Amino acid sequence: MARTINVVPQERVPKTFWEKSYVPEIMRGLAVTIRQFGRNTFSRKENRDTFTIEYPESGTSHYPERYRGRHRLMLREDGQVRCVACMCCSTICPANCIHIEAGEHDDPTVEKYPAVFVIDELRCIVCGLCVEACPCDAIRMDTGVHMQPRFDRTTAFHARDEMMSRGGLSLATKGGRDAVNEDYTW
Amino acid sequence: MPVLTINGTEVEVDRGTTLLKAAAVAGYEVPHFCYHPALSSPANCRMCLVEVEGAPKLMPGCYNQVNDGMIVHTESDRVKRARKAVLEFILVNHPVDCPICDKAGECKLQDYYFAYDAQESRMRAEKQHKVKVYPIGPRVVYDGERCILCTRCIRFCEEITGTGELTLADRGDKAEVRTFPGQDLDNDYSLCTVDVCPVGALTSRDFRFKRRVWLLTSTDSVCTGCEMGCNIHLDHFRNTTERYRPRYNPAVNDYWMCDDGRLSYKALNEGRLEHPMLNGAQATWHTIAGAAASKLAAVIEKNGASSVGFVISPQATSEDLFLAKMFAETAIGEGVRLFINGNDPGSSDELLIRADKNPNRAGARLVFGGLDGVGDASALADALEAGELEAVYMMGTELGAARGRVEAGLDDVGLFVLQAAHQGGVLLDAAHVALPAATHAEKRGTFVNCDAVVQTVDQAYPPNADALPDWQIFMKVAGAMGHKLPFTFLRQIQDRMFEASEAPEPEETATEEAPAPAE
Amino acid sequence: MPEWIITIVKILVIVFGFVMGVASLLTLVGDRKQSAKIQNRIGPNRATLFGLDIQFFKNLGISHFIADGIKMVLKENTIPNGANKFLHGLAPSLVFLPGLFGWAVIPFMDTYCTGDITVLANYQEVCSGEEKRYFQIMHMEVGLLYAFAITAISVYGAAIAGWASNNKYSLIGGLRSSAQMISYEVAIGLSLAGVILVYGTLDLNEMVRMQGHQMWGIVPMWGVFVQPVAFFMFFLAGMAETKRAPFDVPEGESEIVAGYITEYSSMKFGVMQLGEYAATVFIGSLVAIMFFGGWQVPFLYGDGFHFGTPTGTPDVAVPYALIVLLRIGSMVIKTLFFVWLQFMMRWTLPRFRYDQIMTLGWKILLPLGLANLVITALLSAIF
Ligand code: SF4
Ligand code: SF4
Ligand code: SF4
Ligand code: SF4
Ligand code: FES
Repeated sequence: MARTINVVPQERVPKTFWEKSYVPEIMRGLAVTIRQFGRNTFSRKENRDTFTIEYPESGTSHYPERYRGRHRLMLREDGQVRCVACMCCSTICPANCIHIEAGEHDDPTVEKYPAVFVIDELRCIVCGLCVEACPCDAIRMDTGVHMQPRFDRTTAFHARDEMMSRGGLSLATKGGRDAVNEDYTW
Repeated sequence: MPVLTINGTEVEVDRGTTLLKAAAVAGYEVPHFCYHPALSSPANCRMCLVEVEGAPKLMPGCYNQVNDGMIVHTESDRVKRARKAVLEFILVNHPVDCPICDKAGECKLQDYYFAYDAQESRMRAEKQHKVKVYPIGPRVVYDGERCILCTRCIRFCEEITGTGELTLADRGDKAEVRTFPGQDLDNDYSLCTVDVCPVGALTSRDFRFKRRVWLLTSTDSVCTGCEMGCNIHLDHFRNTTERYRPRYNPAVNDYWMCDDGRLSYKALNEGRLEHPMLNGAQATWHTIAGAAASKLAAVIEKNGASSVGFVISPQATSEDLFLAKMFAETAIGEGVRLFINGNDPGSSDELLIRADKNPNRAGARLVFGGLDGVGDASALADALEAGELEAVYMMGTELGAARGRVEAGLDDVGLFVLQAAHQGGVLLDAAHVALPAATHAEKRGTFVNCDAVVQTVDQAYPPNADALPDWQIFMKVAGAMGHKLPFTFLRQIQDRMFEASEAPEPEETATEEAPAPAE
Repeated sequence: MPEWIITIVKILVIVFGFVMGVASLLTLVGDRKQSAKIQNRIGPNRATLFGLDIQFFKNLGISHFIADGIKMVLKENTIPNGANKFLHGLAPSLVFLPGLFGWAVIPFMDTYCTGDITVLANYQEVCSGEEKRYFQIMHMEVGLLYAFAITAISVYGAAIAGWASNNKYSLIGGLRSSAQMISYEVAIGLSLAGVILVYGTLDLNEMVRMQGHQMWGIVPMWGVFVQPVAFFMFFLAGMAETKRAPFDVPEGESEIVAGYITEYSSMKFGVMQLGEYAATVFIGSLVAIMFFGGWQVPFLYGDGFHFGTPTGTPDVAVPYALIVLLRIGSMVIKTLFFVWLQFMMRWTLPRFRYDQIMTLGWKILLPLGLANLVITALLSAIF
């Protein structure tokens, strides 16, 4: 399904003398900013162009469904961490803010788990790439909770257990959506 | 010699060459799992199937030999379909747990899947489960599910080490690699099975889960575990060496290296001497060079150069040793007592392991024109006990069995200068002046191995903390003593050194016989 | 009162009262609230003032600004490894102080006359008593030269800051700023040459007095009317001198982090910022003085309003105290207007590209300035 892109070459419009001198154009620009300033300062609230939405007064109901909030780590059925410490997230993280140390799990079917999993929230740029990269649906940013202001930097490191406390069960099944297809007949 | 056509290219190869190697000569890579250039070919994986015109069926390229006038296709549709089918077949019971598999990133199955298969699984039944995390040896962990039963590991133990611990147990989709009863995969080269395993079925207990391989950067280097000087890939991440892997060099180590050598990388990261120390207090290079120089000059002034013991290290590169020689001759002066330290001899075998556990004694011999009259560590201890030395200037911290005696003797000398990459325990406490040196991962240089092969190490990352390469330290201290050693670049030292020793220059890379098929 | 006490009072009032007051107010209103309004935002409106939860104060954002100031002072002062500590510490003052020193010669009002004032037919005011310079910190015949000699020093501040930070971005920022400032010094100098030709003096107060003249008895002889080209040049180049948008390539945050201030933190950073604001105010006041009649109010002279040629008695007599206030107010308002205009420009125009800045400076402003100078010289020789 190749997509065609139409390229329309644009003629360069030669500039007139006054345009080149910038002066009238700057005046026009000033007029725009001044008009905007006036409208947003002196006119009645409903006539303003201001689009800032104030939090927390406004609540979070208008947030898009895929708003990226603080991270959480999803859980297995038995409450253990779902993450298998594959480090796909820390590899893709553009801010290099995910620190994982893998450990050997007692259960050989689990094998690998994150003994240490820390996200440095001060560095995180909330891009959501970690969520995209995770092959196990183990990390999510769907909490709707903002990154918080804080007085002490040390509290900005989210440890594994803290993120697990926000976690929940994932609907994904091992091996993909229809890993074991009931309808399949030999 | 037979002439054959591969994908339209005519090549002439020796009689007895396999189709796979002939294809490599023609410039075509034939994917393969069970074939390894250093091992025999059982032709059991069928990944290397190629089409030979006139033959009714596809042929395994790793096994079939060339014939004159053969017309071979390695990229035809039939071959591609067969590859796809073979991969799908291999993947029927494969767990594809790449996220937790240490091999991911350097896995042949992964690479070939993307290159030749790249389709979704059509398997709808529950996969066959086998043993996971099976401790097949003290240093190796086996995963039955990931194993593709290529038998490379088994053949390695039979053909290379001759120990033959491994075999295939059970049959069909229950088959697994096992040790013979009562045996462990514990030969001195057991970690090579991890390298030869094309998938993540055998993993190194040491490296397991430590780092994803795609984060590692690889630098060509040489193992310093013994005087064999096996060629290695030094894999490092953020200025820390994380593992060694053997690097192919037919003149030295072929595809292999021993387990002890492979694990010797740990010394690069542990117990490092980080800063220049003056009487136990941290100092800067500026002050320390002056302090070392004036102290040393005072001793020489008072008692003459013969009261100074200068200890060179067979762990150092030839360039460092060359500078050490110049330093001893010019800065300390005529009559200086020379010693050489180093690790004690250990076990040896026919394959790679050599008794001398130092990488560059041969280099020291070349640089110093023979080591006669150069005492070993116990001679140093004797001299110390006899009170013959007023000052000791020592490179490196490897003292072997004489360590205790030397340490005791060092308490009484007036000046002990330690120039080493490591703290060496008590040695640092005893040192009046300690100069942090770079390890072989942190500098460039050459080692000469037991067979007089001259090999280079490359710098993997910059020196740790304040450390400097030994040759630069010598230049600093000598400069502070008023003897300028006229070098700026390592290259200049090498020019001078090869001129002086008439040793051949190292070839740029390990001689790789063109075109060697991939492992 | 001894002279030095008066001087100190003048310094306190002008520098700390006016300049710092305006400069810091600008950081708040000009830079935050105004930009917010222009960009359809709200701007700071959260912090309370001393815990008073009054929406009006919150909306003004004043407490944000105070908190910011306190934060600046209290923050950790970091000096990068390998930086030259002395120069790194020196640079902010080199950026900041010239902006303050320049104010020494800025007249906020004419000399204060203790006696009566008569206005001659050529618009000159003659004072029968003593003339006291209460509204100018230091009187100087070559005030204009002094002002530019002093402000030019701030380029050293930026260059040194860039070099001493041991950071490649800082270095690039420092280089850019020195290149830019030196280029525009030339344009400023040339644009002023025309003005100096017209007024025939370097004394700023004298210049303002000259602008009390009326051309054809109706148009005040303001710089902008007699030297319109010089005004545009000066305003442009002056804005470039302040290193603020659209001429902020030295900071160019999308390319070089924050240019020469990258490695500055806490109050050193604050001082750097304040230096830029102070420079903005200074340029504003110079524009007011040289092109818009400084403290002059049109038709208002030492004894009251004269419409047409002064005849000895004012058309509308005004008490002297009120005249003083009107004139100071005139100066302050004009200054503020040009400061405001610079801010509007900042929020209106995108950043120039580096080559555009150089082209503008060397290929447009320089020839324009030369042409202006030659034509002005010809005209003043003819008339
Ligand atoms: S959101 Fe982006 S920056 Fe933050 S942890 Fe995930 S990948 Fe890293
Ligand atoms: S969160 Fe997901 S991507 Fe990150 S290490 Fe765990 S399993 Fe891998
Ligand atoms: S062996 Fe290869 S394909 Fe199999 S799980 Fe490991 S990385 Fe993935
Ligand atoms: S363990 Fe690895 S090398 Fe051994 S048979 Fe299995 S896949 Fe082959
Ligand atoms: S059958 Fe040829 S490589 Fe396995």
